[in-house]
Amino acid sequence: MMQNLVMQNLAKFRASVLKEARIILRDRQALILFFTMPVIFVLILSLSLRDVFGDRPGASFPVLLVAQDQAEVGREIVATFRANRSINLALSHDASEAQVRQWLIDGRYRFAVLVPAGATDQAKRRLGEIMADVPLDLRLEKPVQVQALADPALRSDYRKVLEGTLSLALHGIEMKLGREQLEQTLRVTQGERFRGLPDLEQSGLFAPVHGDTVTRRSGGPTPSSVQQNAPAWTLLAMFFLAVPLSVSFIKEREQGSLFRLQTMSVPAWVVLGGKAIPFFVINQIQMVSVLAVSVFVLPLLGGDPLGLGDSPLALILMGASASLAAIGFGIAVAMYARTTEQAAGFSSATVMIMGALGGILVPKAVMLPIMQNLAVISPLSWGLDGFLDVFVRGGGVREVLPEALALLTFAAICHAFAILRYRRRV
Amino acid sequence: MMPMPSSLPTHEANPTEGVPAIELRRLSKVFPGSRAPALDAIDLIVPRGGIFGIIGPNGAGKTTLMSILGGLLRPSSGSARINGCDVFAEPEAIKRILGLVPQEPAIYPTLTARENLEYFGRMQGLSGDHLENRVAACLELAEMSEEADQRMERFSGGYKRRLNMVIGLIHEPEILILDEPTVAIDPHSRVLIHHRLRELDAAGITILISTHYMEEAEMLCREIAIINHGKLLVRGTVPELLALGRDGNLELQLFDAAPADLAGKLKSIPGVDAVEITGRRVVVASEHPDLIVAPIMQMLLADGLKVRTLSFGGTKLEQVFIALTGDHGAPK
Repeated sequence: MMQNLVMQNLAKFRASVLKEARIILRDRQALILFFTMPVIFVLILSLSLRDVFGDRPGASFPVLLVAQDQAEVGREIVATFRANRSINLALSHDASEAQVRQWLIDGRYRFAVLVPAGATDQAKRRLGEIMADVPLDLRLEKPVQVQALADPALRSDYRKVLEGTLSLALHGIEMKLGREQLEQTLRVTQGERFRGLPDLEQSGLFAPVHGDTVTRRSGGPTPSSVQQNAPAWTLLAMFFLAVPLSVSFIKEREQGSLFRLQTMSVPAWVVLGGKAIPFFVINQIQMVSVLAVSVFVLPLLGGDPLGLGDSPLALILMGASASLAAIGFGIAVAMYARTTEQAAGFSSATVMIMGALGGILVPKAVMLPIMQNLAVISPLSWGLDGFLDVFVRGGGVREVLPEALALLTFAAICHAFAILRYRRRV
Repeated sequence: MMPMPSSLPTHEANPTEGVPAIELRRLSKVFPGSRAPALDAIDLIVPRGGIFGIIGPNGAGKTTLMSILGGLLRPSSGSARINGCDVFAEPEAIKRILGLVPQEPAIYPTLTARENLEYFGRMQGLSGDHLENRVAACLELAEMSEEADQRMERFSGGYKRRLNMVIGLIHEPEILILDEPTVAIDPHSRVLIHHRLRELDAAGITILISTHYMEEAEMLCREIAIINHGKLLVRGTVPELLALGRDGNLELQLFDAAPADLAGKLKSIPGVDAVEITGRRVVVASEHPDLIVAPIMQMLLADGLKVRTLSFGGTKLEQVFIALTGDHGAPK
């Protein structure tokens, strides 16, 4: 008898899922939107925000270097900028300062370095005076003026990096010229006894600095734009599914079919679950399509490929937990909203707020500390942390478990509220 | 006359024979925030078999009553029993034998008629050949076999209401409750629904129908209850209710507009209490209308006024309804 009832309810559940799938599949426009929206978001944002997340400041725009001086100073500065592979360098030898200023005003360049003609000679003369200990007020040569000109709209962190690169080059030149001058002086004063200065470059005082990221597993990949954007926009798209889900529920109520079901022996879980499963499948397809595009298509367009980490199981767990949370949210909204307008308005606004709080729209790393702490209340933040655990920190199932459990708890609470409300509406 | 499909459900005698199909005891419903009750201590027994009509103006409480019977709304007090079972204490026992047809078509517009029937059939626990047979039978009842595989959103309101009705029959209920099933539909669909209801009646199904079409109630129902402002005003068979409205009026329709002096002439006839003339319609009130028919006809003949129709001693349900509810704005 009991077994019979279970079998009958399972048959009803299957029929509910089939019904919902048919309804969804017949709404072509909505389907296209479900799948293209997150993919387009990820493509656009991953490509355009590549440099914000990457370690290549300045790479997104050309830096103009006008080396009017073509001797040691000019050559050294060009070499230093060239050595920095993250700088996209445009080189000129004859542009005038006025021309450079005009280019910056016109927006052709956003940062320019101007090495004046005769800089090397001037630097050497100045150095000669310094080495000869000529009193300050009697020195004829002024310090060499290498100019850095910037568009005021240029982000300050970009500018600082570029100015830092220039300072590094000038320090190098200073050291080199000073050393040459010192060597020359010693050769004169010590004659044959002088065997040359030790090579500091070959036996440096400090080991070269390479910033290393700290992950759960050492040597994990560096976070990139796509690693932030792919899970962020997938999560947002997943949670946005709460909008059509809640609207479709309320439509059913308005059409009366939900009431009709309530006059029949149909358990709440059959009705709610029948709706949830097809939306769960859509969520999973959304996730897979965004990940596939991020892994295979993005590199073809010049973006960084997405590193998926090495725990597919953790990824599946996160995808399923996030989807159940999103669906639970949608169903709970549907049970409490009275009209489709209410449901659509409330769920979309709430998802946007949760997205903003949770580091989807603006990465948590650039938020104020107080907002970073607030992010904890957003389920989207839990989802994003979980995905970043896998993609960036090399986490597995154990590492994403806290986030997955938080999402599943949220889902369980939402579903419980929804079932209670569904029954109480009778 | 439409052929009677072999697909109509039939019901053999069962142990609940003798128990009323529907029994309401002091049934009341007050919605939160509302001062007046939507239903006010309604006592009503609907016997087995036959078509029972609930009529009342808009807002009388018909849909509230139907919703309580369908288990969709809890009453504030009192009880509702179907087949002897309390609607809320034993819902499962009732759901099996009850078919509810809501006022608005409760269907999925993007599914076909067949898919709708299959889905609701499965939700009623049907499966396999039985489900297939019932779906075919219901499509036949709704005269939609040929359109079975087209999405419902492409159909008119009439088709949707027909499907709405047969979904309520998919599980062969013993008791069918219909909330205003013929509102705003084409004449063909209305006639079809009336035929089907008579056939279901003949097959032994108890039918409770709410309507505000008086002709429909008069034509279909064996018994009628009139409710207004949540109160049961009266119940009885159609002849019993019509008898209430007999007030001795004589009503005439003339071929041409009545002359201006007609009212005075009529009032001069002994036994005539009052005369009301609107255009070609003449209503004469009298305590003994049988005594005034002959002198009135003679006078009209003498004045050369031709009479198109004359009704005497009879009323329509609409008149009874208006007299009882005082609702002159009630629909036809």
